[in-house]
Amino acid sequence: MEKTDVRIFFEKKGRAVYISHLDLLRTMQRALKRSGLPVWYTEGFNPRIYLNFPLALSLGAQGEREPMDLCITEDISMEELAARLDAVMPEGLRIISAAAPVFHNKDIGFAEYTAVYRGSLEDISGAINDFMAQDAVEVRKHSKKKGMITVDIKPHITVKNVYEGSGGICVDFRLPAGNELNLNAALFTDAFAEFSGKKEIFCELLCTKRTNIFCRTGEVFA
Amino acid sequence: MPMELREKIEKHLLEVKNPSRYIGGELNSVVKDRNKVDVRFAFCFPDAYDVGMSHIGMKILYSLKNSRENWWCERVFAPWPDFERVMRENDIPLYGLESLDPVKEFDFIGFTVQYELCYTNILNMLDLAGLPLLAAERGDDCPVVVAGGPCVCNPEPLCDFIDLFIIGEGEEANIELLELYEQMKKSGEYSKKEFLRRASKIGGMYVPSLYDVEYKEDGTVRSVTPNDESAPQKVTKRIIKDFDKVFYPEKFVVPFSEIVHDRAVVEVLRGCIRGCRFCQAGFIYRPFREKNTDTIINEAKNLCETSGYEELSLASLSTSDYSDIEKMLSEMTEYTEDEHINLALPSMRIDRFSKELMEQLSKVRKSGLTFAPEAGTQRLRNVINKNITEEEILSACTTAFGGGYCGVKLYFMMGLPTETDEDILGIAELAKRIADIYFNMPDRRRGQKLSISISCATFVPKPFTPFQFEPQISVEEINRRQRLLLDALKGKRYINVSYHNYRISVLEAVLAKGDRRVGRAIMRAWEKGCKMDGWDELYDYDKWMEAFAETGTDTDFYAHRAMAFEEIAPWEHLDYLVSKDFLIREHKKAMDAVTTKSCREQCAGCGLNKAVGRECFGKN
Repeated sequence: MEKTDVRIFFEKKGRAVYISHLDLLRTMQRALKRSGLPVWYTEGFNPRIYLNFPLALSLGAQGEREPMDLCITEDISMEELAARLDAVMPEGLRIISAAAPVFHNKDIGFAEYTAVYRGSLEDISGAINDFMAQDAVEVRKHSKKKGMITVDIKPHITVKNVYEGSGGICVDFRLPAGNELNLNAALFTDAFAEFSGKKEIFCELLCTKRTNIFCRTGEVFA
Repeated sequence: MPMELREKIEKHLLEVKNPSRYIGGELNSVVKDRNKVDVRFAFCFPDAYDVGMSHIGMKILYSLKNSRENWWCERVFAPWPDFERVMRENDIPLYGLESLDPVKEFDFIGFTVQYELCYTNILNMLDLAGLPLLAAERGDDCPVVVAGGPCVCNPEPLCDFIDLFIIGEGEEANIELLELYEQMKKSGEYSKKEFLRRASKIGGMYVPSLYDVEYKEDGTVRSVTPNDESAPQKVTKRIIKDFDKVFYPEKFVVPFSEIVHDRAVVEVLRGCIRGCRFCQAGFIYRPFREKNTDTIINEAKNLCETSGYEELSLASLSTSDYSDIEKMLSEMTEYTEDEHINLALPSMRIDRFSKELMEQLSKVRKSGLTFAPEAGTQRLRNVINKNITEEEILSACTTAFGGGYCGVKLYFMMGLPTETDEDILGIAELAKRIADIYFNMPDRRRGQKLSISISCATFVPKPFTPFQFEPQISVEEINRRQRLLLDALKGKRYINVSYHNYRISVLEAVLAKGDRRVGRAIMRAWEKGCKMDGWDELYDYDKWMEAFAETGTDTDFYAHRAMAFEEIAPWEHLDYLVSKDFLIREHKKAMDAVTTKSCREQCAGCGLNKAVGRECFGKN
């Protein structure tokens, strides 16, 4: 057996939301090392456990179904792999599943988020309506090629639902993600915070969760 | 209550750099039920998380205390200024990372004092905890504030702030201290005063409030005398006799964010056989003791397996002095290679650097090599008793270059006793000779560039060394010598010279050799905003000088004055088992540039074997 690709889905919650993307890589490599699983190491000068995260999650956000790719070098059931890795995870990180990847990283098209607020449903739902009724939502964004640029993100935002959930008022929204256009959830929540602040509407952001990742075709990324 | 504090912290955590440092939850951190423990200990490292989490002593004592079911030891670090601002603005008191409870509610606050430049951080942390800084102002309802570590071999500048110092090695002393506390609390006999009195009878416990210091007219110490019959005349440092069997953690707390030394560490030996005359660690950690190879391998495997670390370091003052280094390394690399673990060997001596050793090293990773000649000429190396010849340096470099290395890092010290311009220029000459070796290699690899880094520290006279009597040279003179070296290496682009900030070295000297009166200056410096003095970008020399001036502290008196042999040093009531006669003998030999053999070759009679009651080498 040469090596086999595996895609893991994991949860990042609680205190683990403060682990930055770079630190997450090290954290996962160490967990894999502790698990004793037959993982594939990169070749070359400094062999490292191969790991790839198809879509980075920003610092502070929760992830309910985050993907991570690795390779294994021995035949092992996906259930066992997931269970053994889960057993050595630090607080806040849980393994949900392991399976052969179905899609390519490049297939990722958008992601769905939930922002949870403290405030009244009426106020927040009204503010979201007003926010989305604007002609444009201009934000400053860092671009790899052009540095800081101003973009109108409004055409890219889809607000799906505003409701009273456990823990606060939930705003479900969807943003483009992946190689072509990747919008950080904070672009939406920051812009909304500024907007609601001007209108003097109380809505304190408690947390942001990424709930799922989708392909451009609309299929769930798997 | 506790949830409230966690909420307060989390509300602002994303405003600061590396937030995972402030919230706990790391792998292997020990969480207990606060209602089921009898003694709570806040182990404070008075510097940033990244530094403190790299410290091996903290890992040992943390695990050791937590091995008692009814004791709970937590980690506490100094917040970086961005988070300190958040703490102060939002009334977040200093808290333990495991429980997120305020340390003010703990039984003990313990500082490990690794370097002088963290003294203001100690004050800042006490203040953040919401406690009075002065020990005399902290009553029975406040935690007992203790401190240990190498710097407390001269604890005098910290005496105003600390209730009790643990002198020497902590593994047994900490247990005995906490046992006494637990027992007194349970029997209802506890008062802070009575606890400190009884603790002072345990070996290695120095309670400064039980001693009075008198000074002579010239400012030197006349006497240090106990003011309570329970306190011993001299406090003798603690030593672990059976080092092979000493407690060692099976687990390390594994941080999420990158720290300075982010790896598994096994302490292979304690003490040092060399006796370099400037080196405090070389004297205060005596005698030399090592662990058996099997113990080292087992401890290494344990730690790697429980942490998942991809790097393992074999730590000590001089790892290449391990008696069977080659056998130990070959057994170790057998394990580390299979497991894809990098093996790091800090503290290697040039004269122990062989082809075989290099091959073991380069099996895993070929990073740079670091050597410490410390001085540029043979005469000065003899003065400091480095016991390394120029031939050994050049031959180590020949071996290294032949083995494919193209960079060496060399550590030197400036301002050493008896140093002349010739010695400074000797550093440049040595670097050039090393470069010549590289350029004359017949089969040197193409495309690889030679890189010689020279790193120069400034000599700081330290207590319990033969150079404790020596003055530090003035700031202007250090500056001149630094420029002299730079000029001598002009145009050599492959030689890079870096310096420690000499304005920091002066502070180090004053704090290292200071007496109780220096405490006022530390307090004043902290009031002026000094903290994190070990960080170049945060160190404020001018504020420190103001603090010295305003408190009438004469820096020349402490740092730049030669001490007579018969003068009573501020730390002479502490006994590190290295006799003053020996230090004086070594000082005299230094002035004659005469070397002393390593302890393994010949006992130099420092006094330790008498105190321990056995020879350090041979028949034990």
